[in-house]
Amino acid sequence: MGIVEGMISGFLQAISLAVFPYLFVGALFGLVIGVIPGLSGHFAMAMIIPFLYAMEPGPGVAFLLGAHSTVAQGGGLTAILFSTPGTGQNAATLLDGPPMRNNGLGGMAAGAAMTSCFLGATFGAVVLALLLPVLQKVVLFFGPPEIFVLAFLALTFVAVLGKEDITKSLIAALAGLLLAMVGLDNVTNQERFTFGLLELRDGLQLVPVILGLFAVAEMFELWVKGGSLTGTQESSLSAKETQKQIFQGMIESLKRWWLVIRCSAVGTGMGLIPGLGSAPAAFVAYAHAKQTSKSKDTFGKGNIEGVIAPESANNAVEGGALASTVAFGVPGSSSMAIVLGALFVLGQETGPRMVTEHVDVVFIMIFTIIIGNFIGMVGGMFLVNPLTRVTGLRGTVLVPVLIAIVFTGAFAVERSWFDIGVALVFGVIGYLMKELDYSRAALLIGFVLGFAVEKNLYLALQLSGPYFIFDPIPLTLAVITIGFLGYNVWGIIQHHREVKKRAG
Amino acid sequence: MGTARPTLNFPGKLVLLAFAAFGLISCQSGNDGGEQKTGVAGFYDGRVVKWIIPYSPGGGYDEYGRMLAPYLEKYIGARVDILNLPGAGGMRGANDLFNAPNDGLTIGLINGSALVTNELAGIRGADYKIAEFEFLGRIVADRRVLVVAKSTGFKSFEEIWQAGNQVKIGATGLGGSTYVDAVIVNEAFDAGFDIIHGFDSSSIVKQSMLRGNIAGTWGSWGSALDAVDQGTDLVILQSGRQRMPDLADVPTAFEMAEKTSDPARAKAILTAWELLHAVGRPVALPPNVNPEKVRFLREAFREALHDPEMLAIAAKTLRPIDYATGEEVQQIVIDATSMPDDIEQLFVRAIKGQL
Repeated sequence: MGIVEGMISGFLQAISLAVFPYLFVGALFGLVIGVIPGLSGHFAMAMIIPFLYAMEPGPGVAFLLGAHSTVAQGGGLTAILFSTPGTGQNAATLLDGPPMRNNGLGGMAAGAAMTSCFLGATFGAVVLALLLPVLQKVVLFFGPPEIFVLAFLALTFVAVLGKEDITKSLIAALAGLLLAMVGLDNVTNQERFTFGLLELRDGLQLVPVILGLFAVAEMFELWVKGGSLTGTQESSLSAKETQKQIFQGMIESLKRWWLVIRCSAVGTGMGLIPGLGSAPAAFVAYAHAKQTSKSKDTFGKGNIEGVIAPESANNAVEGGALASTVAFGVPGSSSMAIVLGALFVLGQETGPRMVTEHVDVVFIMIFTIIIGNFIGMVGGMFLVNPLTRVTGLRGTVLVPVLIAIVFTGAFAVERSWFDIGVALVFGVIGYLMKELDYSRAALLIGFVLGFAVEKNLYLALQLSGPYFIFDPIPLTLAVITIGFLGYNVWGIIQHHREVKKRAG
Repeated sequence: MGTARPTLNFPGKLVLLAFAAFGLISCQSGNDGGEQKTGVAGFYDGRVVKWIIPYSPGGGYDEYGRMLAPYLEKYIGARVDILNLPGAGGMRGANDLFNAPNDGLTIGLINGSALVTNELAGIRGADYKIAEFEFLGRIVADRRVLVVAKSTGFKSFEEIWQAGNQVKIGATGLGGSTYVDAVIVNEAFDAGFDIIHGFDSSSIVKQSMLRGNIAGTWGSWGSALDAVDQGTDLVILQSGRQRMPDLADVPTAFEMAEKTSDPARAKAILTAWELLHAVGRPVALPPNVNPEKVRFLREAFREALHDPEMLAIAAKTLRPIDYATGEEVQQIVIDATSMPDDIEQLFVRAIKGQL
């Protein structure tokens, strides 16, 4: 089957009556799972797998990936409206989403988030389709040396996140790196920072840490300050006003198409690299938007670009992450490992033969991501209004309910009581960091990339020796990293001079 | 204190009796039309059995669990709920199972070889005694294979054996199964392969093989199947004493042991290694469950694993089944935990990453 034929066949199958209903149900299911804090795409897919035994490949793939692809859509809504990331990949949306809500622009932020999510996912899926003929070469581009340098490059973006106070950002990022080291080191077989607790042997889990740092901390703040999530607003937005704002938000993100494309490219690129995941991609896109924006100062205070950037990146990741799964049958992320397992259940061949013989199934995947996200976008818009009503509730009513949901989410990942404690401890840390003006994003980036940097450095040294950095590709990437870092340091020095001048 | 307990328990027993009586009455009234289930079958009828899977949803263990659960339900007569308890390399689930109430309503799938080696090595967190579990039987034994990327040009174990430390073998964590396999074979054959460990998962190891960074890796036959089928990888050595039917032209480690300078020692190491593989992936109850229940569940497990419909799904989804009875597993575990001292020391050093 040729690629064009496969594309047409895949599209026709995706919109056929045999497949589309599953895609539709899957997409709405994923949306709801995404709205609930702590429940992620993993959870949605694990719940679907038992159904697959009795299904045909086409509907099965659409059902599974449909659910997986809209999780970020739902999670973005929760992030904006409740200051609680619905899933890990929405953590970066918290930087500008909730401030927009506080400015009375919650509807606009939600509209922009869902539209950019859809556009990003479409971009990622299209790139995957375009790369199909050369997919194997692209995937094999990234080995431990390359991943090490790229993770390091992503880490340097921290410098941009906290230009106001680089010292505090660095402290937060390094603390994040230390947190990444907690647990049994699989290189030396030594337990690090576990304080004798068996529960810490596998390290800190990402979801409870994110929920604690952002959601629980937010609850503490709301509790301390009183009032409602909408803050100083007299009352929450009217239904009509919300509707109007959603459309404004859509238009705003379409107007910023160039930003959407650049951030989607960041997402897709990072999706191609095994083991990085979508949370860092969203932060890197955010940093990129801030770096290139004309109004850097309003970032963090409710800039719509700060919502568009991470939301277009976090779903663009999927297209990239699918690449190695499709090209070699080697999953690039833990979600993709589930997808691969599901393909086996559906009796599908994976790896090179999938591209040569079942390219229509690949295109069903691609169109599922696009159509699923479209359904998620439209479905999400109906959710905004009722959810907005909730944000007007008094904190004393809302906090206990949200805390219960958040803790359930923290528990559900591994059915671990310990993780509720982790969420609580990181809630206190997050609250203190917010009060003392330390960047929680920097801490999270350090935490997420810490694994990748350390493991890949070790592997690179084992495989290629101490001079791996002088191989052409790592060297090029290293030069870019140093250039980027230098540019930022220069910017910071300039900034300080200006501040001094003004003061003098 | 000891003398006070029976009297304290007396009202409790009465309540229990009342409940049991009530349960029987309601069972009978509910089962008017259908066949009457008595004894242990009656106990399980309509109950919920918790099935602990010690790894996350979506992994190999979880897939086996979700594939088998409906068939266990069919033969036990109870609802079987899967409970994923990932953590500590499968030990969290095993500990939870070991300490679960012995009412016969909690069963668990366990990673046999890892539990044996962790217990032998006294790894912190190994708070179970593997020989004390009541085994229902084994789903599958571990059949391990050494695969090399075809692009390396190596075609047989003899070839890489000669190349020795020129050959890089990838492995995941220190002390993990891919690592233990690699160092144990290194030791048995005095091969000196360069073992590169620290890969995050076996998929990252495979990606490194595709890139040509490493030559090969150890893994289960099931996980290697796909790449072999596609022609990117080649199996050059298999565990076990007999060749598997689908790998009839690949030598076993035992056959190769004849060619070492000290076949007796090589075989002693491989025998212990083989016992670990034989434990495989068994399903177990916590210790001291009522023998009637154990017998009933063993029978249900046997039937579930021989259900033609289940076997068809297993074949279709490339998941090998290699059933052994509960009694057999119990014996294998005893044998595996009592290996000769010097061999045991070798495995302890392997699991601790000291080889």
